[in-house]
Amino acid sequence: MNQASRARLFKEYKEVQREKVADPDIQLVCDEANIFKWTALVKGPSETPFEGGVFQLAFSVPDQYPLQPPQVKFLTKIFHPNVHFKTGEICLDILKNAWSPAWTLQSVCRAIIALMAHPEPDSPLNCDSGNLLRSGDIRGYQSMARMYTRLAAMPKKG
Amino acid sequence: MQNQDASETSVQTSEVDDWANFRDDDILQQQSAIVTEEAGKIPFLGDKEPLTSLAAEYKSGSPILLEKIKLLNEQYAAIRRTRGDGNCFFRSFMFAYLEHILESQDRAEVDRIKTNVEECRKTLLSLGYVEFTFEDFFTLFLEQLESVLSGNEDSISHDELVQRSRDQSISDYVVMFFRFIASGEIKKRSEFYEPFIQGLTNTSVQQFCKSSVEPMGEESDHVHITALSDALGVPIRVVYLDRSHGDKGSSVSVNHHDFTPVACDLTNATSASGSEAVKPFVTLLYRPGHYDILYPK
Repeated sequence: MNQASRARLFKEYKEVQREKVADPDIQLVCDEANIFKWTALVKGPSETPFEGGVFQLAFSVPDQYPLQPPQVKFLTKIFHPNVHFKTGEICLDILKNAWSPAWTLQSVCRAIIALMAHPEPDSPLNCDSGNLLRSGDIRGYQSMARMYTRLAAMPKKG
Repeated sequence: MQNQDASETSVQTSEVDDWANFRDDDILQQQSAIVTEEAGKIPFLGDKEPLTSLAAEYKSGSPILLEKIKLLNEQYAAIRRTRGDGNCFFRSFMFAYLEHILESQDRAEVDRIKTNVEECRKTLLSLGYVEFTFEDFFTLFLEQLESVLSGNEDSISHDELVQRSRDQSISDYVVMFFRFIASGEIKKRSEFYEPFIQGLTNTSVQQFCKSSVEPMGEESDHVHITALSDALGVPIRVVYLDRSHGDKGSSVSVNHHDFTPVACDLTNATSASGSEAVKPFVTLLYRPGHYDILYPK
């Protein structure tokens, strides 16, 4: 049954190799031993509190892929209304009920970058972060988010 | 050892902890568990049943419905149910269409629809879809189409068609194929579909396709049906079984609507054969929220 998902993932693998240059903000890597496990490094979008940070995502792809969405979470700590602060779980429609096979692991990464730049505070997984935005405390939100970007998503200066 | 009270408190706190850790993933998992459980009860596609089974369902129901079922009996012989999983329109269409080809062996129709499918492929590419994201679904549909024609190495029987339609790895892929087709058609002719979509959901065409057409399990409306019928050039009759009175004044009548594909555009020379209304060979029964297949007498 997972033959179809395997074949699809292999196509994505080839596509990723080709797109590496085209999309320097995303580095998507397949686990050498298991094509159903991927990790990605995405750059925090510029002019956001995540700028300068590099965030690691973990992908777990189900057997029913691409009929079912991959499970994606942040491995890098991030202060964002739509990311669970402890688990890294992401609240994004295309990863839940709006998934379709037209998406790829690569385009999911792009959607996550877009989410980082445009948080949706009305459906928060991180209520503290969501409340700051909802109460209009943009400065508070940005400084918290920037602090965690520095703490967790930037290489330590040696 | 803990005494009774202590263990009760610990249960309580752990429940609170569970709640705090309750994640979307868990909800999705629970949801898919429910779907799997329901799946055991009703197959994607049922057996052909006489229309009397429909009457039995409404035995103590609305007299209007019973009256309408009586009327249906005059024209229709049987019903084939599909699972109410949000894909029932596409799945009903899949089976009704392939069954028609299997029984009619209408090679001209197969050639015609293949031309349309090829057009749809170009549409998706021109809309910016990445080919490898949809090609598997196209391939699988075309394989089913070939296999219902006799005289091929991999020709299949009617029983086999039923089985394949119940096999998730085939059935869901064909459903998804139709979703791609409908989405591509809606986006291609967005200026035409926009007012209908506005009336239905008040969202943009792009958003509608993203959230209501392409995802599996999203229910179909007249927009989906129009788009699929237009894109594939296949007329579809939908018979409505609801509690409304029919058109004919005070006496009850059963409404139906024929979705007739728009005359194919002039560039598509191969299918310019006729502009006269074709009688639909795909007939579906609509009850609010659900589609099944209907068999004329």
